[in-house]
Amino acid sequence: MSRVTRWLKPSTTVYAHCDVPCGIYDPHAAELAARTVARMVELIGQIPAGSMEVADRQKFVRCVTVKEQHAEIVKHEISVIWSDYFKPEHLERYPDLHERVWKILKLAGKNKQNVDAAAAAELEAAVKEFADIFWSTKK
Amino acid sequence: MPAPWRVAVAEESMKPALDPGDWLLVDPTPDRWPRRGAVVIVREPDTGVLAIKRVAARPGDRVGTGPASVLLAEDEAWLLGDNRDRSVDSRSYGPVPLNALVGRAWFRYAPIGRIGLIGRGRST
Repeated sequence: MSRVTRWLKPSTTVYAHCDVPCGIYDPHAAELAARTVARMVELIGQIPAGSMEVADRQKFVRCVTVKEQHAEIVKHEISVIWSDYFKPEHLERYPDLHERVWKILKLAGKNKQNVDAAAAAELEAAVKEFADIFWSTKK
Repeated sequence: MPAPWRVAVAEESMKPALDPGDWLLVDPTPDRWPRRGAVVIVREPDTGVLAIKRVAARPGDRVGTGPASVLLAEDEAWLLGDNRDRSVDSRSYGPVPLNALVGRAWFRYAPIGRIGLIGRGRST
């Protein structure tokens, strides 16, 4: 850097302030977590009813725990994209976005409370629709 | 800290009006701004970082944000980055008090090919 350039260079930096890391949002984690919830419901269903085998009980507890954790991941991932990524102009295109997010969060709660294949499938579908909306705003 | 009279731009949320690496002259006297469209240097409410944004609405203006709208107080402005998809601005941190504005960028003196006044229009 020449002396003149050094003399001209401002000592203050101002930030145009982008999202950091810039625009990296991805609903894939939510989809994967919803899939995991559904899979855990399936696995729980495969454990022989009333079995007192240690292996079965261990599997049961494990599946329930993973189901809970992943329902929580769905809630977290969806909430972040909803609050941080979506902007008012997206809402104009998808006026039911808030309603959809609310429904997903409720469904995630329902899946924590119950072992319910229908609710798990519903959650997966709702998250998939949310992801589709997300990607459509990227086009 | 005294208000800067020259600043260098980092990050891309004011593209294409301002590029990272642009060097700007700043008018640190706050009497006539914020005018709508003016490019201002602001101390960001949440972070305290010096940021550069454009005045989208002035004190007393009403700002529509989706279903709700905000009426700006007499000492508040609404700031947006030109590059809407990537910018963190009033849409995230809300109205900015006028005393957080530290200057208005009015002239680009480098790079040489881009020397000139900074307009009040958002070019997209």
